[in-house]
Amino acid sequence: MRIKAPAAAILASLLFVSACNQTADLPKVVCVGAATTYLDWLNGDFQPDVQDAISEPASMSGDLAETVQSAGVLRVATDSDYAPQSFRTPDGSWEGFDIDVATEIAHRLGVEPEFQHQDWDIITAGNWNSRWDISVGSMTITTDRKPLFAFTQPYYYTPAYLAASTRSEVTSLDDIGFTIPDDVTATQLPTDANCIEQIAAGRTEFDLLITSGTVIDGAIAAEQPIVKIGEPIYQEDLAVALDQNGPEMAGLLYEIDQAIGEMHADGTLTALSEQWFDGADLTQDPSGE
Amino acid sequence: MIAADAPEPGSVLYQIEDARARARRSFQVKFALTWVALVGGLVVALYVTGNIDTEFISTWAPFIVAGAWVTVYISLISIVLATLLALIGAMGRMSRNPYLNGVASLYVSLVRGTPLIVQVFFIYLALPQVGVVLPAIPSGIIALSFNYGAYMTEIFRAGIQAVPRGQREAAQSLGMPERQLMWRIVLPQAFRIVIPAIGNDFVSMLKDSSLVSFLAVEELLYRAQLVGRQNFRSLEALIIAATIYWILTIAFSFAQQNLEQRMARGDR
Repeated sequence: MRIKAPAAAILASLLFVSACNQTADLPKVVCVGAATTYLDWLNGDFQPDVQDAISEPASMSGDLAETVQSAGVLRVATDSDYAPQSFRTPDGSWEGFDIDVATEIAHRLGVEPEFQHQDWDIITAGNWNSRWDISVGSMTITTDRKPLFAFTQPYYYTPAYLAASTRSEVTSLDDIGFTIPDDVTATQLPTDANCIEQIAAGRTEFDLLITSGTVIDGAIAAEQPIVKIGEPIYQEDLAVALDQNGPEMAGLLYEIDQAIGEMHADGTLTALSEQWFDGADLTQDPSGE
Repeated sequence: MIAADAPEPGSVLYQIEDARARARRSFQVKFALTWVALVGGLVVALYVTGNIDTEFISTWAPFIVAGAWVTVYISLISIVLATLLALIGAMGRMSRNPYLNGVASLYVSLVRGTPLIVQVFFIYLALPQVGVVLPAIPSGIIALSFNYGAYMTEIFRAGIQAVPRGQREAAQSLGMPERQLMWRIVLPQAFRIVIPAIGNDFVSMLKDSSLVSFLAVEELLYRAQLVGRQNFRSLEALIIAATIYWILTIAFSFAQQNLEQRMARGDR
């Protein structure tokens, strides 16, 4: 077969470029999911916060709690691209730690959960317009989010970790050769799983990503070519969120907070954590309360 | 065919017809072979280089395929609503009433001048700010109908104007009032002219309905992206979705061809 000169030139330059990439230094780019606290952290804008104590409201009338009770359904938004917290099975049903926690909360309220997938950046944008009632989506409590959401007490805590592609041969922070977040830029993809997938697909713009340690462990268990690096960057307090700008919900917030308190006390959350996170109990406050 | 030991004058015509038929058949065979080779080659190439996970495909194909019903359902409702909007729009565009004409022309200009995805987001994400909160599927249907209605307005207007003037004049000479003339004489003929174009629009709507996936409506693309991300298998998931879109459009193109042939019968 006769290869035309331009085609040969393109082929040669492609080979050259790919050879270059293999010998080049680690790109100073870190991949994160859209609207995550990992992005805030990279931008030097991560302000973890705590939810103030939640007290029982004087009156329940007109509260979202009443609406939920009369509908018999608690509408839960979750981004189902976050295994093992939330994902779909081939028959269309919902599974994961967040799903089980939401189901348990609904049952303790005496109603059934109804799940709907929303992209994470839509959920964290707030102003839900009553399209769903609560988010059980491992949302980190931050100062920026407090005007938008009312948070319950945390239902578990995950460490945020740095991960690197196996092809980069980086196994510790010392191998990286630059400081994070000072020396790097962030690349945002729709969801954290996209970062892992793109590394697996051979994309070379980034070799590093930041996400929850649980997501990294899940991806490694699913034979994705990444490794966990170093110590946790920070701990995330993850809570159920309600829309601050929607209908009156102090009552529902109180009821859910109570349910989570009970689930901490009677070991339900610990059992679910050990079931989904490979025997690890992530429900104890790492800061020692 | 005819045995042609001694060629009769008429048999030459058969031979020509014969040769043409053979050429047609050979064209069709080569055409089909080209498709088989290209599609087959693509599939083989993906298998060899793309690290295709067949287990993923067999596990998740039913979940993704189930989204096809939502795609077809949204498209069907939207094309019906768009047709109604287009009919009203075309009347407005041809109206001698400056207000009606102005409204219809603004509708067409505004909708054709903004991207469909902006309209989709506007209806779902922006309207709640002024107190109109629509669920995802109705938002998608409204956006699609509104958008296609504007494009089809122009198609309808052209169709109505393409009905020969003589038809209108003949009806007028019989003393038909304007309204009856429109419904009985002009519109039935205009419809015949625009039906192929509506079919075309339906095929593109099947594909544009994928934009509704941004509203978390569980249609084809949404399901493909969801399971693709979740399992780190976007290639397989998107191939499944693309294949279904392709099959759907081929099926509807065939249906449209048949319809057009039927409609053409009246043109003898």
